[in-house]
This record gives sequence, C-alpha cells and structure tokens, in this order.
Amino acid sequence: MENEFYVALGLLMISGSIITTWGIMLVIACLAWISTRHLERLPDSVQTTVETIVSAIDEAILAVAPQHGRQILPFIATLWLFLLIANLVGLIPGLHSPTRDLSVTCALAVLVFFSAHWFGIKNLGLKNYLRHYLSPSPILLPFHLISELSRTLALAIRLFGNIMSLEMAAMLILLVAGFLAPIPILMLHIIEALVQAYIFGMLALIYLAGAMQSQQPNS
Amino acid sequence: MDFNVSTFFLEIFNFLILLWVLQRLFYKPLLEVIAKRKRFIDQTVSEANTTRQQAEALRDQYQNRQQQWEQEKQAALDSFNQQIEAERTLQLNKLVTDLEDEKQKLQVTVSRQQEEFKMLAEKQALKNGARFAALLLQQTASEELEAKLTSLLIDKLSTLPDECSSSLHLLKTEKSIPIKISSAYPLPNELREQLELKLNALIDGTINIQYFQAEELIAGVRIDIGSWELNANLQHELSAFAELADEIV
Repeated sequence: MENEFYVALGLLMISGSIITTWGIMLVIACLAWISTRHLERLPDSVQTTVETIVSAIDEAILAVAPQHGRQILPFIATLWLFLLIANLVGLIPGLHSPTRDLSVTCALAVLVFFSAHWFGIKNLGLKNYLRHYLSPSPILLPFHLISELSRTLALAIRLFGNIMSLEMAAMLILLVAGFLAPIPILMLHIIEALVQAYIFGMLALIYLAGAMQSQQPNS
Repeated sequence: MDFNVSTFFLEIFNFLILLWVLQRLFYKPLLEVIAKRKRFIDQTVSEANTTRQQAEALRDQYQNRQQQWEQEKQAALDSFNQQIEAERTLQLNKLVTDLEDEKQKLQVTVSRQQEEFKMLAEKQALKNGARFAALLLQQTASEELEAKLTSLLIDKLSTLPDECSSSLHLLKTEKSIPIKISSAYPLPNELREQLELKLNALIDGTINIQYFQAEELIAGVRIDIGSWELNANLQHELSAFAELADEIV
C-alpha cells in the first residue's frame, strides 16, 4: 500500500488507481460498443444477454423510483457496472481495485452527493428542493445537513474499507497459507465485490430517489 | 489510506466521461431497441386484439346470421309443410271426388250393362219362345185349327172398329176391289162363302176375291184388301210376338 504508484503529469499526479480506472473504462466502452453494434428487433444471444442486464437494472431502479427511473438509469447503471468491474479487478494478479483507494471512493460518493442534489433540483425546482431541509421544522436543518454529509462520508468509507480490508485479508491469507486456499478466498472476494457494488449502487439509488421525491405528496 | 486530490478529481472526470460514453454507446441505443421492440410487441398485441375482436364480431355476426337463417329455414319449412298439407288435402279431396265420380260412372256403366244384358236375355228368351211356339204350332197346326181361326175372323169382321169400317166404306168408289185371301190349307167352301158374305156386307161394291195357299201361315188366313191387310193366322201372331220382343228391346 505504501508503495503506491504515481506518475507526475504537470500538476496532476496519475495514480495506479486512475490508470486502472482508464483500463476499466476502456474495457466497458469496448464491450458496450461491441454489444450494441448490430442491435436488431429480434436479438441474438449477445444482445439478449446485454438487454437482460440492462432490463434487470432498469427494473431494480423502477422498483425504487418508478416515476424517475429512466432519468437516473444511466447514472446508477454506470455506477453499478463500474463498481462491479472495479471491485473484481483485484482478482487479476498485479492489479488492485481502484475502489481500495479512498480518493476514488470519495470521488464516487461526492458524485452521488451532487447527483442527488442535481436531480432533486431538476425535478422539484431549487426552492421546493431546499424547502425539504426546513421541514417538518427549520430546527432540523442542521441535522439534515449533518445527515447529508455523514451519509456521503459513510458511502465513501464503507466501500473503501470493505474493499481494502478484503484485499488485505486476501493478501495476508495468501502470505500465511501460500497457495493452499486460493479458491475460497477468491470466492469470498467475488461475493464481497458483488455485494459492495450492489450496496453502493442501491444506496445511491435510494438517495437520488429520496431527493427527487422528497416534496411529493405520495412519496 | 492517503487521499490524493488529483486522483479524486480525475476519478470524477473519468466517471463522467464513462457515464457520457455509456449513455451514447450503450444505454440509449439499447433502450431504444427495447422500446422499439416493446412498441412492436404492443402493436402486434393491439393488432392481434383487433383481429381477435374482429374475429369475435364476425363470429357473433355469423352466429346471429346462423340463428336467423335457422329461424328463416324453420319458418320456410313450416310454410312449406302447410302448403304441402293444404295441397295434399286438396288433392285428396279431389281424388275422393274423382273416385266417387268414377264409382258412380262405373255403377251407371254396370247398371247399363246389366240392363242391356237383361234386355238381350229377354229378347233372346222371347225369340226362343217364339221359335219354340212356332215349332210347337207347326206341329199342332191343322185344318181344324185353321177353320177355327177363320171362323174367329169371320166373327171379328162383324165387330170391326169404326176406323176400319170407314176405311172399307171408302173402297166403294172403286170399280172392282181385288181381295186376296191366303190360307195355309185349302179353305172349305163353307168358310169361303161365309167370308165372301161378310166381305160383301162390309164392302159396298164389286169385289174380286182370289184364293191362295200359303203354307208359311202355319194355320189361319190373311186377307189383303188393297193396302189393307187382315190377319188371322199363326204366322202373323208369331211375328207380332217377335215384334213385341223387338219393341221391348
């Protein structure tokens, strides 16, 4: 950990997490481009698989935010896909998950924080959106603000802590037991990666849905 | 555990780029094709529903038409049966009437045939009777019978009807009145004289009497006075008998 890789590019410091992120982005973009080159009304197996994934994400989003599902689908789906691959990248020897980097998880948490406000203001208007911080009583405004900050911080720390601890635990086990127990550790890594990606995406979805529906009577 | 500001901002930037790329390359076309398929499915379902509704409407229409046709068929059948029944009754009555007429005609024909047969039988019986009587009279005929018949004629000449008497009186304008007296047997003189006396008494004029023998008379005499004829013989009686049979027929 301490030997973190950095490349200085002027004022910017390109870390290994960023390079890995670029690789993940490239892979995702290539897969997306390949899978959507020949979309037909009657799908083949690849198109069917891709549509099934997107439809599953769409249904999950619509279950939480039925009125604004299509609006937040790209953000939540991108978050899920990126986190899924980013969490699983650590399984590849020589690579580390970008999500074990606090800077990355904080960036994602901040994106969720601003996205929630963005979609909330976009749907409710600035005045209506800010009004919910004063309801049911203006006294609760500090608690609302603390809640916003704490949940964003929790979002970042949770993912960072889980992935980093997972990789550290896996490294320690591999150091102690050698290669005698790699498969259970790998299985644990996969499950943990999936669960953490799901939790982060679902929390982001709940935050966005809550922001967009906070002033609606039937929310 | 270090927090790097460059990584933080680059990660934000990277994620936004990834979000933009996926939105352009992945979500948008994929959601469009899904929506397109959904529209196609909805359209197909809508068309199928429309087709189903049309089929149901056609089926209802067909069922209604079938029921209507069944009713029309039943009505036509009832009407046809009534017509057949009426026609059958009419034809039956006509047949009964024709049979009754034929029966009456047959009865008339049979009755006429029976009548004809009866008349023929009677005629034949009379003919047979006449033939029998002729044979019998031929066997029993004799001069005595002829004499009796002649005497009877002489007696009858005295009581002739007025018409006959007036006819005989008309003959007195004739100069000579020829009288033919035919008999089956030669008449005895006595009878000849009595006859001549009677004739002279009846005919007030000159009479010329000639005697002939005619065996076909069987017995008796026949007197021809001009166109007037007096018969008192069996042949004439038999002829009258036969004529009576003809008259009966």
